[in-house]
Amino acid sequence: MTAYLVILAAGFAGSFHCIGMCGGFACMLGRDPRGDGMTFLRHLAYNIGRLTTYCFLGGLAGAVGQVICTSQGTTVPLLNGPLDTGQRLLAILAGLLMIAMALQFFGLLPRLHRVTTGFGGSTLAASLRSLLTAPGPAAPLAFGVFNGFLPCPLVYAFAAQAASTAGVLPGFFTMLAFGLGTLPAMLLMGGVGRMLAPAWRERGVWLAGSCILVLGLITLGRGLLPFAAHIGGHAA
Amino acid sequence: MTATADTLCRHCLLPVGRRAMQRTVNGEGCAFCCYGCCIAHQVENGNLEEHEAAWLLVRIGVGAFLSMNIMLFSLLLYSGAFTGADAGMLPWIHLLLWLFATPAIIILGEPFVRETWLHARQGRLTASALIVLGVGAAYAYSIFATIERSPQVYFDTASMVLMLFTVGYYLDAAGRARAARDLQPLLAAESEWATVVAGDEEHRRPVHEVGAGTLVRVRPGERIPVDGVIIEGCSHADEAVITGESRQVAKGIGAHVVAGSVNLEGPLLIQSSGAASTTRWAQICRSVRDALIRRSPSQRLADAVVGAFVPVILMLGIAAAVYWAQHVPLDRALLIGLAVLVVACPCAVGLAAPMATALGIGRLARHGCLVRDPAALEALARVRLIAFDKTGTLTSGQARVVAVDTDGTAADEALARAAGLERHSEHGLARAVVAAAAARGIEPTAASDVRVVMGRGIHGSADGQVVAAGSAALMRELDWPLAPDLAERGRSREASGHSVIYIGWGGRVNAVLSLDDTPLPEAHATVEALREGGVCVALLTGDLPAAAQRIAAAVGIERGDIEAGLAPAAKPAALARRRREHGTAAMVGDGLNDAPVLAAADVGIAVGSATDLARETAAIALPPGGLWLLPWTIGVARAVRTTILTNLMWAFGYNLVAVGAAAAGLLQPVLAAAVMAGSSIVVVLNSLRLERLPEPVRSQPRQQSRTEPERAPPLRTSGAPVVAA
Repeated sequence: MTAYLVILAAGFAGSFHCIGMCGGFACMLGRDPRGDGMTFLRHLAYNIGRLTTYCFLGGLAGAVGQVICTSQGTTVPLLNGPLDTGQRLLAILAGLLMIAMALQFFGLLPRLHRVTTGFGGSTLAASLRSLLTAPGPAAPLAFGVFNGFLPCPLVYAFAAQAASTAGVLPGFFTMLAFGLGTLPAMLLMGGVGRMLAPAWRERGVWLAGSCILVLGLITLGRGLLPFAAHIGGHAA
Repeated sequence: MTATADTLCRHCLLPVGRRAMQRTVNGEGCAFCCYGCCIAHQVENGNLEEHEAAWLLVRIGVGAFLSMNIMLFSLLLYSGAFTGADAGMLPWIHLLLWLFATPAIIILGEPFVRETWLHARQGRLTASALIVLGVGAAYAYSIFATIERSPQVYFDTASMVLMLFTVGYYLDAAGRARAARDLQPLLAAESEWATVVAGDEEHRRPVHEVGAGTLVRVRPGERIPVDGVIIEGCSHADEAVITGESRQVAKGIGAHVVAGSVNLEGPLLIQSSGAASTTRWAQICRSVRDALIRRSPSQRLADAVVGAFVPVILMLGIAAAVYWAQHVPLDRALLIGLAVLVVACPCAVGLAAPMATALGIGRLARHGCLVRDPAALEALARVRLIAFDKTGTLTSGQARVVAVDTDGTAADEALARAAGLERHSEHGLARAVVAAAAARGIEPTAASDVRVVMGRGIHGSADGQVVAAGSAALMRELDWPLAPDLAERGRSREASGHSVIYIGWGGRVNAVLSLDDTPLPEAHATVEALREGGVCVALLTGDLPAAAQRIAAAVGIERGDIEAGLAPAAKPAALARRRREHGTAAMVGDGLNDAPVLAAADVGIAVGSATDLARETAAIALPPGGLWLLPWTIGVARAVRTTILTNLMWAFGYNLVAVGAAAAGLLQPVLAAAVMAGSSIVVVLNSLRLERLPEPVRSQPRQQSRTEPERAPPLRTSGAPVVAA
């Protein structure tokens, strides 16, 4: 459970990073002329769409992990427990990926940044942006769904984490925790986002990077160290 | 729905064919070749603030939302989350899935159902029917299973298959649009608008309404819509669409601009010099459009196979389901049947040829090489023999002085006197003499009292002597003696196809100039490159054998591959003879007097005259002076053919393997749909490799083309016949 809390926190911290791109979308959702209730509904629909995609990706990554590790469905608790070779390899891979993402957050891997953000999918979301201004809650929901597929290092990192759990359910929960973590900032984006000083945003990005780095190291450790359970002990 | 077989898809510029979809985007009726193009066009160009335009994408988004939820729950089911103690939840979960699946299937399946229905009314069974049937069966069974409280439902399969096909179609179309990007400027000539200036007013007019003499304003960044002369302003123009070379050309007042080039910096006011529909750009545009609309033979074959494929797969799917129903539970058997239907969707086969052809045609057109028809491109790839016409094709078609024979006088002096006379004449041979003197740096001897004797030559006086240049008849008229040696030389040169000019002064004939048509500087390299590419080269000409042999030797065609003295009507027969020896044969001519043989060849290639395409005498037209592009053109044609073949092999091979695996029950339907969508993306990506073909490289033309007479050895009366070419 603690692990999911860590991810939730990482998601929350990371959501300050989201202000850059997704925050822009959230701002574009704007206010509904029919009142605060409708405005909230629109924002909720957008975020539900986004969260659904995240959870789907998480579940999918987990399922892929499960397929890779032919561990006969013995889903292990996150961050501790016994692991077989397949899971170890997956953990190493996911850990490395997360560490790379974290370094990219610190601006240490500029080339990776181009790869992760210039995946071509961004044109899709960018050209769909005007969907946000369409009336009714269906359009924000649809946009949220597309938005979830936007190339984003945070999503990659947590999808990797989800895959390393090697189970649909833990994968799903990983991404759900991450998505819920981003929720407050994204929901309040219209108001708070604009007030937030750039310095704070910077700090948020560093915090998110640190969280991912720690998670990545732990995941990597799970794969490398024989008694990984002890390393992850603080989370157990 | 109207017949739209002759229009191009709004998004990917492939012919819409019979799968046409008509939609309204931004208040404008558009025809699309498939559902994917419809989505992709909407994504890229739709004005989504309009409710109608956004509707399609909103629907897909909501459909994705629902199917992802279904998939999530189903993944949880598969991972065994609701077994044991939680098993009581199962019926409720199934009910929830049903609730989600119904709108998802209605939303995502509507375009497929609509297409199936349209085609069914035309009495055709297409790929969409497979999807509709498969998904419908999975959905219907799942409802039944939910009501019956059986442990397995397949709502996830039904919705996910639809989702994957939608996404697959979209990715497909997005990839194909990259091919269209190259074609867009070539096709723009028809739809372009021009800013017409009349007095103080400016109007936007469709470019085909612009006539000669109209003033047209072109802003920076715009495409120049008409041929014309700059009246006001100066700028740089990029003429890549016309010349194939992306180069900035400076343009000032009085400079000619070509329709299709892009005005780069300054605003220009242009007076059009002709109707916009007669520009080369418009010509290119028409020919590209015509070529894109036609179907190649391999495409027709593929379409025929697809037509037969669908019913066969339908039977196979049903047969597989029936067979397996006797061995495994009904739901498993149904699933196997579904997998067969879904995996065999022959989208990739339909895409194999048109995209590769379109890329090839676009690529060639950007360098001014126009193709009448995809079939010509496929035939060109198979060509084993290329026969050339001589005059105007391998040669420049313009005479040049190739030898000077004298009776002992210095050749330079003879040339100087000849040039002094001939510069007063406009005759083609006369110009060649003047050019030869200039090339050697000889100052023409000034002549006065110059008089042209029609059909004989020219005479005048220089240095107090009468000087004459012309035929032997002129010399006889003047009663000037001609040394027997010189006369013999002149006769032999005439016999070998040269034109000769006798030069005389001081009461006698002093020299004989021999003139000949000369091979193009790039002819030799072209012939060599063709040979390297495994193509035999032959020369079919109406000229004298000696002249033909001279040119053939200069460009590297062997003696056995020459047929001279052929009347235009005899050329097709000669080509047919050679075709029997070599296989597919192409004929290259200038298009003016070889129309019959160009039309008779497997591939008629006209150099420099695009009008032959329209007259259907030639199948491929190279730009003026574009002989050097021939080997590259064949290279492109071959690459296109290889791509089509690999595409077809992949598509069919994949289908056979996948259908086999599905019928054997080894493939999950969702996986089958994913792999299916992937297969057409593979075809698109494979075709896009054509974008990376090398640009044509002009082999360094030999620089001496203008100064060649200089290389002529000292010319003496006693010397052996001297030929420099």
